[in-house]
Amino acid sequence: MRQLLLSLLLINFLTSALFAVDATLKIEKDVEQRARIAVIDGSTNEDSRVFNIFLSDLKISGHFLPDTTHHVGDVKSNFVIPALKSQEYIIKYTMSQQGRTSLFVRLIKTSDGVELFKKSYAIPSNKKMPFLIHKAVSDINKVLGYSDISWINRYVVYSVYTTPGRSEIRLSDYTFNYTKTIIRGGLNLFPKWADAKQRSLYYTSFRGVVPTLYKLNIYNGTKQKIISSEGMMVCSDVSKDGSKLLLTMAPEGQADIFELNLGSKTKKRVTNFKGIDVNGRYVDNESRIVFVSNRLGYANVFKKSINSAATSQVVYHGRNNNACDAHGNKIVYSSRESSNAFGGNTFNLYLTSSTSSSTRPLTTTGANQFPRFSADGSVILFLKQREGSSSIGYTNLTSYQSLLFPFNDRKVQAIDW
Amino acid sequence: MRQQIFLATTMILLVLNGCSQTAPSIGNVSDSSQISGDTVSIDESGYGNESGNYNSSRDGFKSVYFKFDDYEIHSDMQENMNTNVSVGMSTASKIKIEGNCDEFGTDEYNYALGLKRAKAVKDSLTAQGIQGSQVILVSLGESSPICGDASESCYEQNRRVDIRLVK
Repeated sequence: MRQLLLSLLLINFLTSALFAVDATLKIEKDVEQRARIAVIDGSTNEDSRVFNIFLSDLKISGHFLPDTTHHVGDVKSNFVIPALKSQEYIIKYTMSQQGRTSLFVRLIKTSDGVELFKKSYAIPSNKKMPFLIHKAVSDINKVLGYSDISWINRYVVYSVYTTPGRSEIRLSDYTFNYTKTIIRGGLNLFPKWADAKQRSLYYTSFRGVVPTLYKLNIYNGTKQKIISSEGMMVCSDVSKDGSKLLLTMAPEGQADIFELNLGSKTKKRVTNFKGIDVNGRYVDNESRIVFVSNRLGYANVFKKSINSAATSQVVYHGRNNNACDAHGNKIVYSSRESSNAFGGNTFNLYLTSSTSSSTRPLTTTGANQFPRFSADGSVILFLKQREGSSSIGYTNLTSYQSLLFPFNDRKVQAIDW
Repeated sequence: MRQQIFLATTMILLVLNGCSQTAPSIGNVSDSSQISGDTVSIDESGYGNESGNYNSSRDGFKSVYFKFDDYEIHSDMQENMNTNVSVGMSTASKIKIEGNCDEFGTDEYNYALGLKRAKAVKDSLTAQGIQGSQVILVSLGESSPICGDASESCYEQNRRVDIRLVK
């Protein structure tokens, strides 16, 4: 028992030293259920950034307990040094960034030295190196029969303010080691993925007299005007098949939620309230929405059917719950838990459901905002600001794993992945 | 002797061959082509704010300032509103009313708050004779601060409605 406790403490110390883990989160409870794995670098030029991305991917998967030592060794050999005999698996890799970027990985079972998997990956752009690692780790995870983690392969899209009245829309991998600005200049906000394959996104342009929603193909630059509205125009959510959008619009100066059918070009008013209704998200097989409203005098999360007027309160605590996201029947929301008018407020994230009143805290310190579910609903992305620094955080809802990555763009406007 | 050497050599070769490692085949290119396509880079630098002084009212109108998390026009703004009514009544052009917020809000909710401020100014103007059809509302949320310092006096300048003519 004492040895187990010491092991847990050691693992926790090592992982928190390498990753900026939110130490206040629930301590990893099922350490023994995860596979111990070591990563051996066989590259000509060893790169700690590459190794650390491997570790991030393995850790956030919730399926592995990675050895945090940056081992170096021959990629071709199946020999396992005695020091690594306690590991269940070993990943050996070589990364080359001469010309194009190529990654070769092998997965070896430590007990008998059998090779379980090997694959080469290549990509023309050196900047996209992190995506090769994400793909390799998600493949290894799949080979070992663990639940899917392909969300690590996805782009994150976000908008940041650069100067007053100007913004940029950027793409990144989930670790933010890769970033690229795809729309520079102007005032372009609220990016939202338009399809599951992330080929297009919606965003709001303020180039004209009134805000206008566009759909942009990020590969060929094709841009399509969708709809414009006086006052506000935000694409808050996209139906699974991409045929319907939840929009916040204000045609009469009143922010309400509308559902736009892209096929028939018809829009339906889903909320009608003289105050503020924003941030609509589909729940319950898209039969209902959750949204943020100030109908009780402060920002809070509510739900209603698309086709009926009855509205019910979802959250019963917090002074100001002004942002939420949903996946299936899961709801995550940001709650302000202090009342400083200017700065220094604590915002925490909570997980609840459209079908029950149980609530689970996900963070306990700092200002945690912009919560976004992964495509499969298993992980939540959020922006964390604490003691003057910003990070992008991830929390795995199944394994309780969490990671924070340094993030230098303080003025994030919106984020989606 | 020669036979012994041959046997020994054969044994060594067999042993070495048995111990040899499987050479990795590098030619197996993955399906990572899904993220290999190059994405666009669009430059809209020709649009939007150039000088950083974009945010004050123009064309004779005066900005209207609000309290924290509030969209009520208070009495100290009445003089500015009187000016705005006067200027608005003297033009047939479209009037654009832009609602702005300080940085203490997130995402969509802050834009809705900016809109409520713009709507409050519009309602006041139309109540005093300006045609509603002459007015266009836009919320700019926290995107267009006048002041970037972390102080209440600075935040006060950002919680405002700007008014200008559409040209």
